[in-house]
Amino acid sequence: MNAPAAVNAFRWLIWDTIRQSIASRIFWVMLVASGLCIVFCFSISLEGALRERTDEVGLYGADGKLLTDPDRNPGVLSLAFGAIRMPLYRTGASEIQFLEALLGRWVAGLGGLLLALIWTAGFLPEFLQPASATIFLAKPIPRWCLLTGKFLGVAALVTAMASFFFFGTWLGLGIRTGFWQASYLLGIPLLVLNFAITYGFSVLLATWSRNTITCLFGSILFWLTCFGMNYGRHAAAAWSTLMPDKPGLPASFRFLAECGYWLLPKPADLVMLLDDALGLSENFGQIKEFEFVQQHGQFYPELSILTSLLFTVAMIAIAARRLRTAEF
Amino acid sequence: MTPAVVFELERVSKTYPQGILGRRRLTALDNVSLRAQAGEAIGLVGPNRAGKSTLIKILLALAAPTSGSGKRFGKPLSKRQTLARVGYVHESAAFPRYLNAREVLHLGAAFSLMQPADIPARVAQLLESVGLHDRPSEPISTFSKGMLQRLGLAQALLNDPELLVMDEPAESLDANGRHLLHSLIREQHQRGRTVLLVSHHLEEVETLCDRVVALVGGRIVLDQPMTELRRTAAKQKPRFLREVLQPFYSAVRT
Repeated sequence: MNAPAAVNAFRWLIWDTIRQSIASRIFWVMLVASGLCIVFCFSISLEGALRERTDEVGLYGADGKLLTDPDRNPGVLSLAFGAIRMPLYRTGASEIQFLEALLGRWVAGLGGLLLALIWTAGFLPEFLQPASATIFLAKPIPRWCLLTGKFLGVAALVTAMASFFFFGTWLGLGIRTGFWQASYLLGIPLLVLNFAITYGFSVLLATWSRNTITCLFGSILFWLTCFGMNYGRHAAAAWSTLMPDKPGLPASFRFLAECGYWLLPKPADLVMLLDDALGLSENFGQIKEFEFVQQHGQFYPELSILTSLLFTVAMIAIAARRLRTAEF
Repeated sequence: MTPAVVFELERVSKTYPQGILGRRRLTALDNVSLRAQAGEAIGLVGPNRAGKSTLIKILLALAAPTSGSGKRFGKPLSKRQTLARVGYVHESAAFPRYLNAREVLHLGAAFSLMQPADIPARVAQLLESVGLHDRPSEPISTFSKGMLQRLGLAQALLNDPELLVMDEPAESLDANGRHLLHSLIREQHQRGRTVLLVSHHLEEVETLCDRVVALVGGRIVLDQPMTELRRTAAKQKPRFLREVLQPFYSAVRT
């Protein structure tokens, strides 16, 4: 396979994936949902005197007692172009940080991820249906190229969609409020990574079952399992400190939790990384277990990402091997 | 000089697992040996479930034989590189419906690993030759079955194949489409290309092929040059092939 022909094949595989995605209604749902979020961010404004407190301690007087009237003239957070107005009892920066966490963690990180999985679950099973696959699989292109090209196409689409969402909301919040937190944009690679590790499993299921429903529910179940294992490991590490009055966990349980953690992808760690990037710990409480592993040196971001990526590569390799011998 | 062997199957059998546990086996091909030489136009005929599609799948590396072996252009069937010299027309022509005709051909050319610079001209030429040049940008979801089948013909010819494998290509084609198909097959044959035509239309095989292979129950029951068949049929009348094959087909029914 010569280089120009291989590059052209990948280019067309990615183009095919883009055309396939545009033909899906969920693409338009995601685009409209992202657009609405961006419009929402452009509708926000901060008005009035903003208190430049750095933390909640400002709510207390010098005697340590709660101030009954902490601010006679709080600022106003205006949403939906002024349709909703609420007093601002935080600094403007922390309010925007809160909104960014909401958008990054929940809207994109959970809602967006779920929609992206629904959106893309059928791409490969549809491509591998015998009636259509036989025509293209009877071509000389290696089957692993078809699989990786399709995976890269999907990853490129999700990157584009995530970029649209994060850039748009970041721009909206920045222009309207003057708070520019560039680290919010780290949400793009983190979301794409979170998606890619789950989609890698979906690809494996696609080569095995060629069924959209299996891919969709299988990948969601897989993501929940990984998240549970990830959280469970951190909870097990923090158990004796956070639950001093409870009996300690058996060493075998801790060992199994460690094995599962290092073997599987780590979606909860990606949430921690986004929280870190946004600096949420300065103004907001964190999940205790996550806080513990970070403070006690039991969280290794680079290794966490690397092992998650390795798992994804392994899934794709197994899927490619399965497809190489699959009969149509 | 002996013509080059384009493909050969040597005692190939294929069984599929049946039932929930897959313990029972369904025999699709049973000890089939077949050899095609360059320039031949072979008609592969047989009743339904005779094993024709399985034979083609094995030939195109879409399935592996359970036993036996085969070669395509002198290389084992598992070597995909030689597929660059093969064109394949599938009976259903189920292309991605979100693409247009031009995109389908570009995608097919890219998967055939053709040189990118050669592709646009080849695509335009083939769209013209199958009569779709006026609708290159229309989504194929709006195409009729016949138009899809024409597109299927075009994608099979993208790489100017030395071996053209056609599985029921005339299905869904109207009279004009069939005329086009027959002209294309004749043209390929005249250019010394090898054609393997699977068809239930025996008249089509009679007029287009110079050798007939009949598969019944996974076995080759007849493999003869058309001229020889005509001689033994000793009638040279149209539709003689139906009479020749009738005893084999009847045996399946009883």
